[in-house]
Parts: sequence; C-alpha cells; structure tokens
Amino acid sequence: MMNRFNHLPTLKIDAARKIGFIYKNKKYYGVQGDTVATALYANGIRIFARSLKYHRPRGLYSLDGECSNTCMEVDNIPNVRCENTQLKEGMVIKEQNVKGSAQNDMMSFIDKMDWMMPAGFYYNTMHKPAKIWPIAMKQIRKAAGLGTLSPDFEMPGSYDEIFPNTDVCVIGGGPSGMMAAIAAAKKDLRVILMESRPSLGGFFEYRKNFHNRSLELAKEVNALENIRVFTHTSMVGAYNNNLITGFQIGKPSDVFDQRYIEIRAKSVVVATGCIERPLIFDHNEKPGVMQIGCALRLANTYGLLPGKKAVFSIGHDLGLEAALELHNLGLKIELIADIREDGQDPALLQKIEEKNIPLLKGWVACRANGRKQVKSVEVSGIDGLISKTIACDLIVASAGMTPVTGPVTIALGKLKYDAHTGFFMADKLPEKMHVTGRLLGLDDPRSIETSGTLAGLQAALDCENCSIKEIGDVKKELENLPGPTRGTKLVTAPVKGRKSFICFDEDTTIKNIKQAIEKGFDVPELIKRFTSAGTGPGQGGIPGHNLPLYVAKYQALPDISIKPTTTRPPLVPTLLSTYAGTNHIMLKTTPMDKMQREDGGIFRNIGVWQRARYFSGDFTCEKEIKNIRSNVGMLDASTLGKFRIHGPDALKALQRVFVSDMSKVQHGRMKYSAMCNDDGCVIDDGVITKLRRNDYYFTTSTGRAGQTVEWLRYHTRYDKWDFHVVNLTDAMGVINLSGPNSRKTLEKIVDIDISNEAFGFSEYKEFTIKECIPVKAMRLGFVGELSYELHVPSSYMQSVWLMLKEAGSKFNIQNFGVEAQNVLRMEKCHIILGQESEQRTNLLDVGLGFLWDRSKSDAKTIGAVALAQAESDKTRLKLVGFKMENNTRAPHDGSLIVDEKVRGYVCTARDSFSLKEAVGMALVEGPLSKIGTRLEIFEDECGDDRIYGKIVAMPFYDPEGSRMKM
Amino acid sequence: MIFKNKPLWGKKKKLKSSYDVVLIGGGLHSLATAYYLAKEHGITDIAIIEKNYIGFGGAGRNTAIVRANQRTQHNVPLYKEALDLWPVLTKELDYNLMFNNCGNLNLMHSEAAMKAARMTIATAQFHGVESHLIDAKEAKEMVPALNISENITFPIHGAMFHPPGGIVRHDAVVWGLAKGAAKKGVEIHQHTEALSIETKNNKVCSVTTSEGKINTRQVLISAGGYSAALIHDMLGIKLPISVLTIQAMVTQPLKPLLDHVVSSGAYHCYANQTLKGEIATGAHMDPWPNYTTLNTAHYIKHQAEALSEFLPCLRGVRFMRIWGGLADMTPDMAPIMDGNNQIEGFFMNCGWGYFGFKSCSAAGKYMAQFMATDQCPDIFKPFALKRYEEHRLMGETAALVNYTPDN
Amino acid sequence: MALTITCPVCGKRNGYEFKYGGEEKGPRPEEKDLDPRAWCDYVHMNKCVAGVQEEWWFHKDGCGSWFTILRDTTTNLEIEKKEAQNDEQV
Repeated sequence: MMNRFNHLPTLKIDAARKIGFIYKNKKYYGVQGDTVATALYANGIRIFARSLKYHRPRGLYSLDGECSNTCMEVDNIPNVRCENTQLKEGMVIKEQNVKGSAQNDMMSFIDKMDWMMPAGFYYNTMHKPAKIWPIAMKQIRKAAGLGTLSPDFEMPGSYDEIFPNTDVCVIGGGPSGMMAAIAAAKKDLRVILMESRPSLGGFFEYRKNFHNRSLELAKEVNALENIRVFTHTSMVGAYNNNLITGFQIGKPSDVFDQRYIEIRAKSVVVATGCIERPLIFDHNEKPGVMQIGCALRLANTYGLLPGKKAVFSIGHDLGLEAALELHNLGLKIELIADIREDGQDPALLQKIEEKNIPLLKGWVACRANGRKQVKSVEVSGIDGLISKTIACDLIVASAGMTPVTGPVTIALGKLKYDAHTGFFMADKLPEKMHVTGRLLGLDDPRSIETSGTLAGLQAALDCENCSIKEIGDVKKELENLPGPTRGTKLVTAPVKGRKSFICFDEDTTIKNIKQAIEKGFDVPELIKRFTSAGTGPGQGGIPGHNLPLYVAKYQALPDISIKPTTTRPPLVPTLLSTYAGTNHIMLKTTPMDKMQREDGGIFRNIGVWQRARYFSGDFTCEKEIKNIRSNVGMLDASTLGKFRIHGPDALKALQRVFVSDMSKVQHGRMKYSAMCNDDGCVIDDGVITKLRRNDYYFTTSTGRAGQTVEWLRYHTRYDKWDFHVVNLTDAMGVINLSGPNSRKTLEKIVDIDISNEAFGFSEYKEFTIKECIPVKAMRLGFVGELSYELHVPSSYMQSVWLMLKEAGSKFNIQNFGVEAQNVLRMEKCHIILGQESEQRTNLLDVGLGFLWDRSKSDAKTIGAVALAQAESDKTRLKLVGFKMENNTRAPHDGSLIVDEKVRGYVCTARDSFSLKEAVGMALVEGPLSKIGTRLEIFEDECGDDRIYGKIVAMPFYDPEGSRMKM
Repeated sequence: MIFKNKPLWGKKKKLKSSYDVVLIGGGLHSLATAYYLAKEHGITDIAIIEKNYIGFGGAGRNTAIVRANQRTQHNVPLYKEALDLWPVLTKELDYNLMFNNCGNLNLMHSEAAMKAARMTIATAQFHGVESHLIDAKEAKEMVPALNISENITFPIHGAMFHPPGGIVRHDAVVWGLAKGAAKKGVEIHQHTEALSIETKNNKVCSVTTSEGKINTRQVLISAGGYSAALIHDMLGIKLPISVLTIQAMVTQPLKPLLDHVVSSGAYHCYANQTLKGEIATGAHMDPWPNYTTLNTAHYIKHQAEALSEFLPCLRGVRFMRIWGGLADMTPDMAPIMDGNNQIEGFFMNCGWGYFGFKSCSAAGKYMAQFMATDQCPDIFKPFALKRYEEHRLMGETAALVNYTPDN
Repeated sequence: MALTITCPVCGKRNGYEFKYGGEEKGPRPEEKDLDPRAWCDYVHMNKCVAGVQEEWWFHKDGCGSWFTILRDTTTNLEIEKKEAQNDEQV
C-alpha cells in the first residue's frame, strides 16, 4: 500500500482509519475518506477496466466520472463509477467486461483488429448470407454490455424522496455558487445549494492557495439558516418553469442510502464551473494518462502521489500550478509541454523556472507509449514537425478548460461558440436562470466570486427582493476585475488519429469521426448516432465539446456554427431505485375490504379499486352462482360511482349527458339510463333517482366514477348553468342483496313494509335502520333475481353488512364476488360496458336503443347526432346472444366469429349452471345478427378446428323477468 | 481499407425546379415511399424535402420494436407484411438492419386483459401470424427477471407471446432506405424546409421550399408528428390528430438480461435490451398536445417505479439517457392514409401514433403503388379520412383513448 | 414536469393536476341539419397548431373548473391572456 501524505490541509482522508474491502476475492485496505478508485490506486491498481469494444486497458482519468474507465461491479451492482463512490467497510468489488482480468484480458487482441471495424461497420457486415446474422448477433450481445446483473438481484438500501420549494436554487457549491447562495440568502430568500461532491468548495477545495478561502465561504454558507445545503447531491434534470431534479447520496448517519430531490425554484443559478477538455493524441486514454485535476486531487485530497516521473501536456495555468504543487510533493516532472505559445501567468512561469522544471511552449503530447501502462511519451511541436520521446509513468494531459453546460442545455438554454475562450457558452438562457463563475470563462478567483454575488442578486431580483441599482453596482465591480481568459483552440495533437480517442466509452477515434463525415454524416447528432460517440455510460463527458470542435475543424468551417449534441437527462446516471423513491402503491379499498378478506375473498384490481372477485378457489363460481339462484347472496358494490346533482339547472345538465328524457322521472322514482360520447358509444350507465325538484341522486359504473364530474362540467362548459355535482362515491357504500330469499333477509332488519306491493321492482325507497342508519334502497335486477341495492353511509357499511349476514343466516346467505355477478348477469344478457361494448359499437348496436329519447334535440344530448347519422348503417357490429351447438363447451371469451373473414367476436360466454348449457354474448357484423344464424367460432390455438353456435333470443335466463319482479 | 468512404445517400445536389414527385419529410415513411416508387414503379424523379436531417424525427427516436399483433383484421395484414419485409430489405438494400427476432411478450395484469389478449391472439392466428397466450409461470421462464408475485400494484396474470416480432436497428433502416433510394436516383434534400403547396383547380401544381419553388403534379406529406400541422397550414385540411410527446430512455449497458421485448399496458411501460446491452424502455405520453419533444421529471420517475415492480432487478441499474419524440395520435389508434381526396395529386400518410416505425416498409410500399397508379390499394381503403365522418372508427383500441376530451 | 397552468380559482399549479380538454372550438353546434362532415369537424378534427393555441383545461386534482388558457405548443409554456381576452368563463 502506498504511503499517504498526512500533513496537507486539503486532505479529505483520515489515514489512521483503515477500511477493509474485497477486490477480486482478496482483502485490501483503504482509508476513511477514500473513494473506491483511490483506495485501489493506493494499493497499486492501475488498470481498472477494459474498454467496451477494443478491450483496451483503462485507468484513472478524471476522478469526476466523465467516462466509464472506473466502472466496476460493487456489491453485485454493475457499472458503479468507482472514482466517485465512497469506500465502505466490506465492499466487494469486481471487474467487468473482461475475459481473465483487467490486467490480463484475453479479449485484448481485438484492439489490433480495429482496421476491420471502421465507423458503422456493423451496418455493412454480417448480413450476407442472412443465416449468419442470428449467430453473429448472439456474439455481439455477449460482447456488448459492461456489467452483469442477475435476474434475481434484489437491490438493498432505502430510498427517499423529497419535493422542496425554494426561492433560489444554486447548482454547484464552488466559490461562485457559494457566493450566489450567500447573496440571495442575505436578501431573506430561501436558498437551496446543491454540490455533487461530499463537501462544499469546488475547485477551491483541493488547491493549496485557495483551500482556506473555500473553508471561509463554506462556513458563511452554513451560518445562514435560510440556505439549505445538499452535499453529495448531483443535479440530473432541469425542466420548464425551473423544476430541478437531483439525487443525494446519504451519509452513514442518514436514514436513506439515496434520495430523489425535486425542487421547484423561482430562480436558478447554474454554477457548475468547468471540467478539463480532454487532450486528443495517440493512446490518450492509456492508464497513466490523467487530467490535471485528477493528479492534483489524488495528492491533495487523497494523499497519494499519482506517479514517479511525469510529463505534463497542458493548455491552462491550472497545469502549471499543479506541476508546482506536485513537484513540491515529490513528483519528478520531466517536462511541461504547454500548448500555449504565450499568455501564461508570469508568476507561475517564474516559479517553474526557479524549480528547474523544463517547459516547452507550443508543444503537446502526441503519443503515449507502453503496452498496458504509460512507459514513455512522445511530445512534439503543435505543428508536428519536431518531436522527442521522454520516459515517464504519468502523463498529465488536458487541452484546457471546458464549461459544464449540461444544466443549461437541458433547461433549453442555447449555446454559442466564443472565440476568445474557445468555449461553447450559454447564449440564450431560459427565464429566471443565471450562469456564473467559470461557466462565463472567468479564471480570476475574485472575478469568479464577484460573478457569484451578481448571479445571487439577479436571482433575488427574480424573486423581487433586490434593487436594480444594487445589481448595477456589482456589475461595475465585476467589470473592473479580470475578464475571461483566452482559451486554447487546439483540438487534437498532430496525429492521424487511428488510436486517438474522442470518446473512451465507445472506443470512438478521430479516424472514426472522419469516416463518418465522409459518409455524409456531417453534423454531430448524426455522427453520434453513426459512431456511438457520447452514448456510453460517461454520457458524453469525454467527447463533450471536443466533438463539435473537431467536426468544425475537419470540415474547415469558417465559423463554428456547429452545435454540441443535445444533452439529455439524467446528467449523472441515476439508479432506478433512487428515482423510484418510496414506490407507493395507490389502490383504493372499500369499507368491506377486511371483512371480505376474512371470509375468504380473493381480490383483484379493478380500475383504481381492489375488489373481491371470487370466494373460493373454484373460479367457475358454481357454489356462489347456485346460491344466488336458490337462496340469497351479498355483494359489495361500493365501488359504484354515486353522485348528487342539484341546483336550478340540474335537470338540464342531466338531459345533456343522459340519452333518456330525464324530465319524465317522477319525484321518488328512478330510471335506468346511459351516457354516450359524441360518437354515440356508450360510456356509462346507471340509475337516476329524483329526490326532489332539480335534485337527483345517480350512479355510474365503477370505471367512470372518476370522470363523471369532469364530463358533466365539460359538456356544459359554454352554458353557464347553475348546478352542483357532489361525488359521494367514497362517502357511500353499496350492498347488493340478491336471490329469492333477499326480501326475507332484509325484512328482518328494517321496520317498514317492503312487500312487493309496497316496494316493487324498479322502485326506490329511503328508510332508516335501527333509527339511525339512513339507507337509499333500489330494487334492481342486474343478476336476474329479486334484488335490493342498498346505499349506506360508508361508516355504517360494516354494521349493515353484519346485520344482513345474521338475518340471512337461516336462508344460507353467502358472499358472492364480481365473477359470479358477471356470469349471473350474462345469463340475463345485461351488458357490462367495455365487455359487451367497445369503440366500434354505439348505444343502438348493443341493444340499448330503447333508452334514447329522440324528442329532446334542444337538449343537445351528447351522442344523439352520431346515433341518428349511423342508424341506417346495417353493417355495424351488433350484440347478439348465442347458444352452443351439440352441447359443446362455451368458447373462450375473445374468440372470433369468422367465415372467410373475421365477422365479430365473443364477448362473454360460459357453461351456465343455471341453464345447463353453454351460452354467451357476441358482437357480430349486422348481416350476421339475425336469430338462427349459425356462428363459426375460431378460438385461439384451435388450428383448423371450429366450434359452432347459433344466435338465439336474449335473455337466456328467465326471459319474462318474473324472478326479479317477484 | 476494405470499406470505401463515400456519401451514403449521394452527394449534395442543387434543388431542381421540377420533379415528378415531391415527398415532404425525411423520415421512414417518406424514404420507404421513395424507395418503392423508384424500385417498383420506375419513378425516380423524386425530391425528398427534409427540414433537418434524415431520421431527425420519430425515425431516430423510437425504440425500434417491431411486431404484427394488432387488434383488427384491417391492421394485422399490413403489419405482417412490414414484419416480413425486414429480412427482404436487408438483402435488397445490402445494409444490415440488424433485425433481432427475439419475440414480444405483452404482459396481462387482469382477467379482462387476458380475455382481450385472446381476441388479439385469435385475430393474429386467423391471419397466419404466430401469437400465443401464456401464463405467468411460462412468462417467468422466458424472462427470469419478471416479478410474478401477487404483491405488486398490477400482478401478472399471463402474457401474449408473439414470436415473430423483435427489434430492428432504427437508424439502419433510415440510412439503408436513403442509400437504396439515392442509388436509384432519388434526391434527398436535407436542411430544406417545405413552406407551402400551391394548387390550381384543386390540383397540386407546386411546392415552395426554403431553397426554391418546385413544380410537381404529386406531393406526399409524410412528416411524422409534424404532418397534421403542415397539412392544416398548407392546405387547410383538418385532421383528427393530437400530437403528443412520447418519451423513452435507456439504462447503462448490461450483459444479456432480457431476451425478449417485454411490455405492459397497465404499467405504461415496455422494456427490451438493445444489441449494445442497454435496457430501452418507455411508453408514456403527456396527454396534451405539444411539439416540444421534451422529457419530464414526472415520467422518468414513473418509469423507475413501474420497472421496480415488474422487473425488480433493474433497481440496481442506472438510467443514462431519456429523450422524447412526437406521436400523432388518432382517436382509433390507426393511421390515415389517403390521396386524391380533397385535392388531386395530394397524398397523406400520417396519424401513426407510436406505430410508425414498425409499419414503415409496408406503408411506403403501398403508398408508392397508390401514387404511381392513382388507385387506392385495397389494403389502404379502411384507412381513409372519411371513416371518421362515417362513424366507422377502426377499433384498434378497445378502450376509449384518453388524450381527447371525448372521454 | 414541464408544465404549469394557471387555474382561475387556484392559481398557478403543477400541470399534472389538470386534464387537457381539447382545442377551443366554440359551443356545441345546433343539431338540426348538422351534416356528418360538420359534426365530424366539431367532434374529431383539430388544427394541431404548432404555436400558440387556445385550449381547455380541467382542474381535476383541484377545484374542478373548466377554463381556457393560451399555450405555446412548441414550448409547453402558458402565455398570459390579455385582459381583453379574458372571457366570462373565469
């Protein structure tokens, strides 16, 4: 294990606290504060993974997760970016996508086959002859993919979600972000500050000369109570009207492992700063090549000297600063090749000279040598004319800075190329979003901080808590500070590019990009699709702005009008478990839920509800059905929609939506009717009861209850009618008491006369049970027997249920479920909407035409026009009843009615216990719908076999209806 | 170098002042129409007018699922033919469309759904398309990652298994058809915007574009989600279309985990594994018209919740990228393919919703026949616009759709 | 979430609280002599505007109002209605 520095103030580790973990079945130790990657690095591991396509060795490159170089399997979770995953005791870490090991991968020979695999080669190969494709595809599938996931993997951990509102949301906890948060907070605004690393500080945090300042700022932030700081929180999405999403990694003391955060902000400040723009040269991703920040943070944050002998190839003063710091820590620096001919900070240059570190201006690394790790580097002038090779084990390389514009572009901000900085900078920002700090190309620490204050105040202005003058003052202050520095324009070292990688994850080289452009894929979006560049787990972090810069350069475009490819959320790959959060199930239960379950009810989801569908394992429901036909049964129908509509225009509203003439309903009476949509399709049916003038109680089907108010109001929205609709669905429960013994049962618990004379079929009655439970009772016959529908306040449902159960015990009262009801009503040919109707059938087609009153055209009844227009069309689907021939079993629901074409289908069919034969209802084309027509039935899996039925009159059971009227 | 690098769909050409046929839209239906016009009808003087680049719209944004298990007899034959064409096109175009014939598994979460599936399956079998109803256990054997326990919001009762379906590499179809069409002389004009269509005596006479005016006798608007707005703006023809944004996303790449396309109506979700190993998943549409192609926080969260339930191992996987595309939905979930209807020489092919990818080859083939012969092929007849005023919606959806107020 | 909508009763709220109710097409036509084409035009046909359109929304998880707003379909952003345009629905 490497020695750690322990004297640096910037360190985030506690070298004394060892943390054990398993890597490739062996025990290793890291220290408190390590990431998985730094712990491995400390143990001498340099090759972390193999690349997707060519199986090239890959190592530590950026430490911020811009590529998949450090993706490993951690505790059976695939594709974990080890470079920003905190090490925990007992972690089990495995390599991915290797045959053998990352050190010795038997698949590495593929790297030499690259000439066979130009951009898009898949499209031109492996399809001739056609037979080889399925075989090749199998191999491609095996070779593709990084990590492995077991199909029975169970994700451990707890996941939380919060949805805070705030005035100002600041993304990025570096110097400008902290200043913005402070400025806004001092204006008495609520502020949320998000930082992706575990602590605040940004790029001040790990630099010797700025570390103290970052601590000061963090202290000030933490002292302000109206700033809510989320550290270790990555912003992943930005949406219209400043909705920001992100996720937080929990600390050991938190109750969650990860937490989804969705923030609604009045104003947003983006302070995400810069990353380094990768330098493209031959073998630019070989282990031993890393970016400046990576090398510096390894030392300053994690106490690890990144190498022994290094060559720097840089294009920004941060490289000079890092070289000095690392030199002082013991790194031997053989050469600094600086892309820039001039423009360096003279103070830094002087110090470098004092330390005798060789520096070449206008030079750049052009090739990393070494089989698996860097052994030497070839550097050359940027024109490529002169070069030399230097032995080293570390190449610190970056072309310069590049702004992290993802949060801006996913919020639909536009970017524009800026020739001075060489950045694609935010040009048109969405409303109430501001950018600050290094995103503006600023480099001077004072400028960065001041720009943060400015952005904070601009956000405060969005919240109307800041004066324009104050903003003007800070603007002036900023103008007097150093502006953006000139950036480097170099995209690639002087190389041909066969092994120069523009995208590490997809092994896309400069040569591939050239091939794509020559094939006509001449804009970055198309190149991305054709070469896959930027579509890997690093999500474009490495190709980023290099891709459009290179495309512009290669095509020698005079101005860089080319845009980077669209950035897509999540900006940081996010676990499904994190997005899912607490994962709620939101199904509704009726007041009878528990009692029915105790009685053996087998429940099913029906729409938003859970309902008892069966009361035994016999799904034909024979016992339930026979008991209704001969004794009495109880069904919980509480899911029915129940509404009261009242007010001066209540009747008019009913006339609009129901097809029948509602003015004919007398006080205290009820009527069954249906609602259609504008196509004439039946969308709902129910019973309307007139309680008093312009005051009605009505029911709807279970499925429609949620839309009834909306429907009524929608279709009367121009009329300015005065009515009120109250949804009583959850306030009232419904018990359906059915069977020849139901009157005898009900009589026992009511004290009014409910004889057939006093309370006849299709009548309505209100009464109270035990002088306190108000009941609305209707005599309906959905199942075809003597039947009472009792509407009871939900809170009394269980009491009434128990009373009925007791009262009915001597008549053998039993529960029945939704399926028994389904069969009973089918025998009676009562339809269920959606089962015996569909989009192609209207009210007339399903035999409910008798409900439609044509005399009320002034009401503009919904569906009436379509019904009138379609009435003469005799070819439409019609609902028919049929019996099976020769005692054949009932066909499956959904079987087809055919001749040489499909003519219709079976809606519901059962072997009827009541009728002792197989009957059903079907929708068939009009010409086939006459009674006596023989139906040829095609069932799934029937092959050439057909079964036959014959159209008969409906209903099948008790055609006179005497049983429900008894 | 064994592969020559020359522009796949021809060198850029200057727009001429007249063409026999102008196709507006550089997506799959338009490219397929051009290809078949040239190949089967010898009509090669064609300009494809594309505002962005080919495959910019739905062609490049769909999740590449192909299948032929539609609900009604008018639709099944069309999709069956499209499905049969993938291997044929691979050969004809000499371009690997990467048809992964992995089969589709459509999960059913209730007895009612099982019944509905039976009808769809019977319809498929009646038309010679393989499709079977399987129970939850059989589904689990095929997709070991499935959660068939009762303790989820929508327990799995079974599935409709459709072996001939699968996944095709969508970009390859765009580029392959472009290559095939260009080879036969079709001109593809990218970054060219169609601005208006001029008519005389109810006959098409020209199309004005950002690069100049084109005289032509025939024009097809087949511009995916943008068709309805174009047709209304250019010709004043209103359509029963609602244009919605539909979203899809992929996870980080994994070694083989899902060997079939798995979809669930109840969870509004489908998932399949691409050849690269990503789990591609999506389905949701925000039910209000918009042309934004914006994704939403609401949906990516919903999708994670849904997958967490029925494919729970995916909780350990990360989403990598989400995007949106347009779906031009009709009330009966079936397209509008019509021509010479209100204006002679004007054809339209739109309203595909999210079925535009799987149908493109067959729709292009018959649209080419329609345009070349001026006779509507029988297979297209049920898809005419007039069906809406004749009260003959197609019933491709059993349930009423929820993106119109009419529900 | 990409959409916020201003309900005349409840103010600016999350778009998912609402349900879209179609393009504004005016009141239901008179039924007398309504031919199939005119009926179809009212019931099914849309302009599919790529830009600002007037459209109906229902506050389903709120007060239950139906109202119209102006919205740009290319950005999903609500456009403020001018005072003059404020109809009596509100």
